[in-house]
Amino acid sequence: MNKPATPSLVNGPLIQVIRLSKHYSNGHGVIPVLRGVNLEVHPGEMIAVTGPSGSGKSSLLFILGLLQPASSGNYQFLGQDVLHLSRADQAEFRRRRVGFVFQNCDLFENSTVYENLEFPLVYAMVERQERPARIAAALEMVGLAHRMSHPANRLSGGERQRVAVARALVNQPRVILADEPTGQLDRQNGHKIMDHFEKIVALGETALIVVTHDSQVAERCHRVFSLEDGILYEK
Amino acid sequence: MRLSDLLRLSIRQLLRHRRRYWGVMLAIALGTAGFITIITMGRDLKENFNRDLELLGRATLIKIYFEKLPPYQHQHFQQSTLEALRRLPGVKDASLAVSTFSAQTSLQGQQYGFSLFGADRAFFEVCGLSAQKGKLFGQEENNHHRRAVVLGPELARTLFGAIDVAGAELEIQQDIYTVTGVLKDVGLGDLRQFAFLPFTTAQDRIPNISNPNRIYLRCSTWDDVEKVVPLISQAIQSQQYVQGLKVDVAWDQVKRVQAIAFWVELFIFSSIVATLILGGVGIWTVMMAAVRSRTREIGLKKAMGAEDQAIMAQFLAEAVCLSFTASLAGSLMGLVVVEITSIMINSHPAQGLFLFCVMIGLLVAVGLGVAAGLYPSIRASRMEPVSAIRYE
Repeated sequence: MNKPATPSLVNGPLIQVIRLSKHYSNGHGVIPVLRGVNLEVHPGEMIAVTGPSGSGKSSLLFILGLLQPASSGNYQFLGQDVLHLSRADQAEFRRRRVGFVFQNCDLFENSTVYENLEFPLVYAMVERQERPARIAAALEMVGLAHRMSHPANRLSGGERQRVAVARALVNQPRVILADEPTGQLDRQNGHKIMDHFEKIVALGETALIVVTHDSQVAERCHRVFSLEDGILYEK
Repeated sequence: MRLSDLLRLSIRQLLRHRRRYWGVMLAIALGTAGFITIITMGRDLKENFNRDLELLGRATLIKIYFEKLPPYQHQHFQQSTLEALRRLPGVKDASLAVSTFSAQTSLQGQQYGFSLFGADRAFFEVCGLSAQKGKLFGQEENNHHRRAVVLGPELARTLFGAIDVAGAELEIQQDIYTVTGVLKDVGLGDLRQFAFLPFTTAQDRIPNISNPNRIYLRCSTWDDVEKVVPLISQAIQSQQYVQGLKVDVAWDQVKRVQAIAFWVELFIFSSIVATLILGGVGIWTVMMAAVRSRTREIGLKKAMGAEDQAIMAQFLAEAVCLSFTASLAGSLMGLVVVEITSIMINSHPAQGLFLFCVMIGLLVAVGLGVAAGLYPSIRASRMEPVSAIRYE
């Protein structure tokens, strides 16, 4: 499969990471996870990060989503240093700028599809009257508008992951951080998810960073990086 | 996070996991119902208990009379004095009596001497006396100066050889009276040998009857006795000038009843508090378990942008909704128990007191929910997002 064309980079980078490091300390010493990672992501870009298990891919994703602090380095989002935000500002950043998709299709099991998508809007204090339209639009993007009032625990695996993507989209984030989004899906459903991501990114506002083991997923991204021994290489 | 969203999400969470909350809700509901019932019905139950207790001992009966004074100093109580005593807080009712120790009757050619009381409409109720045969006289007999007589059981046996003598006729001081009833034998003391006429009739027809020189006063509960006694003299002096006033109170019985009631109340309140504490511990345990089982959910919500305060508010609101709903159910249970008890003891507890108790019960429930839910909520809010998301 041919690589898609990289979008024009006329606007400044969405994400700029310079010499980012992360290490964990235990009783025996320091374990480095990320070593001097540099990365630049522009709106409308799809980036894949591959690498062996335990290489720090998920840690990089969590740091980019401010779910985890970095040990050192510089991380700017739309020109703003975000590594040193307060806890409340970090939550605000996740609310407004980031959408997460996890491997396990983590939906709230006892809730409907609508209720799952409503949570990010509740935290973003979106008016209640505005919510149905935004939820419908997000579900429309993944082709699940007809499942709006369906209980989450009665969806198929593919549908669950599409709902997770819609939930990541509902607050109109600038970047989607996806951790093995197709890891538990069959090939057909995996392709569908990537189709949806492409559609979303093609609008030009949002970027996608996807951590994956799947070479076919990586091939559909504009750029592919490999993380080995904590060092990020562009392939 | 908006308050309306917070409440909606919390109630939804409770409804969807209602099975795990049943036990806790029941404990709080029972505690609240017990609290409401005891406070609302407490006074009525005491009054009822008090009425029954009179058969065993006259703890709340106060006798007011004059010390023996020189014969030229005749004193008696006026009707206005009786009314003033009736108005005292804690006084249930009061009765004015006249008496003579030298009444006579002639029956089948034999003369019998006995003591006689002139009793007003409230006398029997105030003294806790009831009939074992026939009925006692009251307002109507007093108003119409009827020639009715109630006999003490021993006097009935002496005169008629039996106690089932309601309807029999008896001559007293050359007037014929109809026996309306015979008193029960319990708690009468020397009144077993007395005859009782309506107060008005006794004043009209018994030539050597005394002036109204005794007042019997019944307090609503034993707790009222100590409050009423100091007010008696002042209430009487405000109506008439008297000397040598004597107030008899069965202090020993009052103290013993108060001691028993104190321990019973302490036991009941301890049970209620223990139930509520159990409810609180239940909330704490349930919320801790919820925080543990919903760790990934917490992580996901933080990834969606939920702030620490929003997570804390959500768990706290769930705990408060849980205890508040349980307390609301307990209030309904309390209402049912109060209604049934009211019918059983024929009382009418104040509506305001019930509502006040419901308010207190709900406030306590909210406090309990906050106290028991605070630590689990803080723990949930302080979770690191990544640890929570990776939690297995």
